[in-house]
Amino acid sequence: MRGRWRLKLRMRSGRRIALSVAFGTAALLAAGQADSVNRSLLKGAAVEYLYPEQVTVAAGKPSDVSLHFRIAQGLHINSHTPKDDFLIPTTFSIPDGAGVRLESAAYPQGKDFTLPAEPGNKLSVYTDEFVIQARIVAPAGNHLVEAKLHFQACDKNICLPPKTIPVAIDVIGK
Amino acid sequence: MFARTISEEVLSAVKRNTIVLGVVLLILAIFAWAGWANFEYRKQAAERLLASAAKGELVVNASSGESKFESPLTGKPAPAFALEDLSGKKVSLASYKGKAVLINFWATWCAPCKIETPWLVELRNQYAAQGFEILGVSADDIDRDDAQKLSDEKKEIARSAQQLHIPYPVLIDGASLDKDYGGLDELPMSFYVERNGTVVAVQMGITSKNDMEANIKKTLGN
Repeated sequence: MRGRWRLKLRMRSGRRIALSVAFGTAALLAAGQADSVNRSLLKGAAVEYLYPEQVTVAAGKPSDVSLHFRIAQGLHINSHTPKDDFLIPTTFSIPDGAGVRLESAAYPQGKDFTLPAEPGNKLSVYTDEFVIQARIVAPAGNHLVEAKLHFQACDKNICLPPKTIPVAIDVIGK
Repeated sequence: MFARTISEEVLSAVKRNTIVLGVVLLILAIFAWAGWANFEYRKQAAERLLASAAKGELVVNASSGESKFESPLTGKPAPAFALEDLSGKKVSLASYKGKAVLINFWATWCAPCKIETPWLVELRNQYAAQGFEILGVSADDIDRDDAQKLSDEKKEIARSAQQLHIPYPVLIDGASLDKDYGGLDELPMSFYVERNGTVVAVQMGITSKNDMEANIKKTLGN
């Protein structure tokens, strides 16, 4: 009887060790994941292309496509028509040889934005989400286009260097 | 009969204990793997940190809750450099030995930089007689492989400096100091260097003329 009790005790302590080790491992792995999430937030992109990933257009005919972008919280980028000539405008382009031609791009109007250090001056910027209407011409077939968005981002006190991000769109001409 | 029951129980317990031991060993193996992965991750992070030298960062001030920039260069000698000015002449930080210097990183496309520049000009004129100078270091990208582009870029920086009536030396290719100065991705960025070459304050982003003046006074030992 006593032997059986001892065996049970040993088994219980074995399970307890196993559980402790498992919890410890899980906690360590979770901590590692949290660390990487914080890093990715800090190193996050100022502007992100949202959608569409794929569009189907009439082959050889100009077609309008709405391209959606999101700006990181707290940042703004200059609109396509900034008020001062030294500011870098936001521009969308499709490189030559991509198979798809950009006929024109219609940009949204910028919102007025004032830097706290210069309340008398208004900037024309995009914040949150914005949409560019691109008029493209695609021949028949499937074209994986890597378009580009060029912009320069700031918050109310600092500016980040100008940047160009890829805008990947699968264009199907039918 | 009793002996047989005991023997079966012992066998069964040994079997269960073997399973428990196996599970423990498996978990220990996962633990060891997690430790190894964590070690590798931290090793790579340390290498990246070393590669980018000492990088400044925004930290939250416990008392006010506001973000405050802290640079590891504060209290250390300002990294030496020699950059070209707009006329092509090399200007070194060492040539300002004995002077209090404000190294101001700016760019032609940076709106906050353009707001603080008039303050800098006024402060420079106010404290120049006490041995204070500003070096305006442009962080605009320059293309050394293309003579025409380089010329255009220099002209653009010169035009901007002229519009802002900058009386102090304007140097180009500030991006080449990115590593030494702990990352210059955010502009404007100012390093206040006292007469003995030590960085006494670092300011990221636009603050106020009063803040800048207080830091200049630190460089002068006032």
